[in-house]
Amino acid sequence: MPPQQAVAALPARASSNLRLGLLVPAVAAVVALALLPVFTSGYVVYVANVLLVYVVLSLGLNLVIGEAGQFSLSHAAFYGIGIYAAALGNKLLGLPLVGCLLLAGVVAALLGGVIGTIALRMRDIYLALTTFAFGEAMQWLFLNWEPVTGGPNGLRIPPSSLFGVEILNDKQAYPVVLGVALLMLGATVVISRSRLGRAFRAVRESDVAAMAMGIPVRRVKIMAFLLSAFYAGVAGGLFATFSTYIHPESLGFQTTMTVLTMVVVGGLGSTGGALLGAVVFGLISELLRQAPAVQEMTYGLILILFMMFVPRGLAPAVSRWVRGRGHV
Amino acid sequence: MDSEVLFLFLQQGIASGIVSGSVYALLALAIVMIFKTSEVPNFAQGEVFMVAAYAALFLIVFYGLPMWVVIPAALLFTVAGMMLFEAGILRRVKKALGEPVNLVIATLGLSFLLRGLVRQTGLGDTPRSFPSLVSTDPVQIGQAMLTRLDLAIVGTAVAVMAAVFLLFNFTRAGRAMRALGMNPKAAALVGIDIRRTHAFVWGLSGLVSAISALLIAPKILMTPEMGHVAILAFAAAIVGGFNSLPGAVLGGFIIGIAENLVGLFVSASAIVVTPFLAIMAVLVLRPQGLLGGRPQMRKV
Repeated sequence: MPPQQAVAALPARASSNLRLGLLVPAVAAVVALALLPVFTSGYVVYVANVLLVYVVLSLGLNLVIGEAGQFSLSHAAFYGIGIYAAALGNKLLGLPLVGCLLLAGVVAALLGGVIGTIALRMRDIYLALTTFAFGEAMQWLFLNWEPVTGGPNGLRIPPSSLFGVEILNDKQAYPVVLGVALLMLGATVVISRSRLGRAFRAVRESDVAAMAMGIPVRRVKIMAFLLSAFYAGVAGGLFATFSTYIHPESLGFQTTMTVLTMVVVGGLGSTGGALLGAVVFGLISELLRQAPAVQEMTYGLILILFMMFVPRGLAPAVSRWVRGRGHV
Repeated sequence: MDSEVLFLFLQQGIASGIVSGSVYALLALAIVMIFKTSEVPNFAQGEVFMVAAYAALFLIVFYGLPMWVVIPAALLFTVAGMMLFEAGILRRVKKALGEPVNLVIATLGLSFLLRGLVRQTGLGDTPRSFPSLVSTDPVQIGQAMLTRLDLAIVGTAVAVMAAVFLLFNFTRAGRAMRALGMNPKAAALVGIDIRRTHAFVWGLSGLVSAISALLIAPKILMTPEMGHVAILAFAAAIVGGFNSLPGAVLGGFIIGIAENLVGLFVSASAIVVTPFLAIMAVLVLRPQGLLGGRPQMRKV
C-alpha cells in the first residue's frame, strides 16, 4: 500500500535525518502537552481528554482496518464494553484506576478475539456488515440490559482512584489519560514495526500470498481483531476515568463511523495519520458541537472533498510537504 | 397463550410484516442494484430516502402545490441528485484512488451532508406528518387488521418490484446493467457505455428509494433521522444475499415479518435487535445470504 512504499523509497540517510528532525518537535510536543493543565482552563483540558480518547480509538481501528486490512465496523461496541467494564469494575469491585483500565482492555480484547474468530469465515462487504450487526446488537444490549448498564437512564460512575487519590475533575484525570495514550502510541509503533506488524500488512495485501510465505493467517487475523478491541476497550476505560456519567446513545454506528473517518482522513494504514486524523477531526467536531446542522454539513463536505482530492489522507500529504521542504 | 390468540397474532404479524417489509424490500433493492454495478454499499441510501420525503414536504408546505405535481417533482429531484452525485463526485473519487473504503467514505460524507442540509432548512426541527393520498380506513383480511393505505403501499411496492424485474431482464438498459455487474471491462468491450449505465443505475436507485419514501411517509413521523430505516434495508439485503435483486426483496419481507412477529410475541423493545440477530445468523450459517451466489474469491 502506498504510504509504506513512500517511506521505504526514502534513502536510509534521509530517513534517519528525518527521524532526528522529528525527535525534537516530538519531545517539545510531549512537554507542552504535559504542561497543558497548568496554563489552560478546565474546558480545554476536557477537550484534550476527549481528543486523547479519540487518538487511542483511531490507533486501534487503524490496526485492524489500516494495517491488517480487515474491515471491522464494531469499534464503538468494544469502546462501549470498555466504558462499562471500567465503570462497573470501579463501582462494584472497587478496583483502582489501573485495574479498571486493564479490565476494560482485557474484556474488550476477549470479545474482539471471539468476533475475530467468527470473522475468519468472511471478507470484504460481508465482514463489514457482520461486524456492523454485532455493533448494533451490542448497543441494543447496552440500552436494554438495565440491571447492569442502567439502560436508557445511563450509569453514574463514582470517581476512580489512583494510589489512594480520588480523581474528581478533568485536570486530575489528564495526566493519566495522556500517559496511557502515549503508552498506546508507543505500543502501536512497536507493533507496527514488529514481526506481527509485517504479518498484518502481508495479510492485508493478500492472505493467500501471506499463507504461502508461512504466515499463520488465521492467528494473525484474530490477533488484529483482538488488539484493536483492546485499544478500544482501553479508550473506553480512559473515558470512564474523566466522566461521571455514561449513556449508551453515543455507543452506536455513528461513533464507529466518526473514528473510521478520523483514520481515513488522517491516512489509512499510517500511525501518524491515525493520530493526526483523531486530533483534527476531533477538534472540528468539538468546535461545532453547538450547531449540529453545520457540524453535519462540515463533516460531509470534508469527507467528500478529502476522498475527491486527498484520497490518501493527511499524513502522506503532510510528510510529502515536510520532505519537499527538507530538500530545498 | 392459547392457540386461537396465537393464530390471530400470527396473521396480524405476517400481514403487518408484509406492509413494512415491502418498503424495506424496495429500499434494499435500491441498495443492491448499486452494489451489484458499482461495488459500493451506499451508506447514504437512507438519507436519499429521507431527502425525497422532505423534498415533497417542502413543496407542499412552502408552495402549496397539489400532490400530482409534488410527487413527480420529488421523484425527479431525487433521481437527478443521485445521478449528479455519481457523475460529479463518485467518478472523481474512483479516479483519485479507487479503493473501496474511499468510495464508502464518500457515500458516508453524502449522508452527513444531506442530513445537515435538511436540518438547516428548519423543516426537521419538529417531527412532521405527511398527508396521505389514500384513506386510512381499516380493512380486515382474515383476522388481521390493516388500512387501505397499507394495501396501497403493498400494491405500489409490488408494481415497482415487477417493473424493476422487467427492466433488468427484458430491456437493453437492463442487460447493460447486468453486464456491468458481471464484468465492467468486458461490458465496455462489447460497446456498453459504462458511464451512462452507472449514472442510470444510480438514478434508478434514487427513483426506487424516493418511491419507498413517499409510500411510507404518511405512516410515520418524519424526522431528519428517518433514514435509519436504511439499516433495515441493509439487513434485508444481507439476509437475501448482497448481490441478488430477488434476494433483496425476499430479505425485505423476511425482516418485516420477523420484526412484527417478534414485536407481538416477544416484546416491543426486542424489535430493534431482530434484524441484527437475523443478519448474524444468516452470515454465520450461510455467509453469501439466502439467494446470493457463491462468494467469489478475489484474484491474488
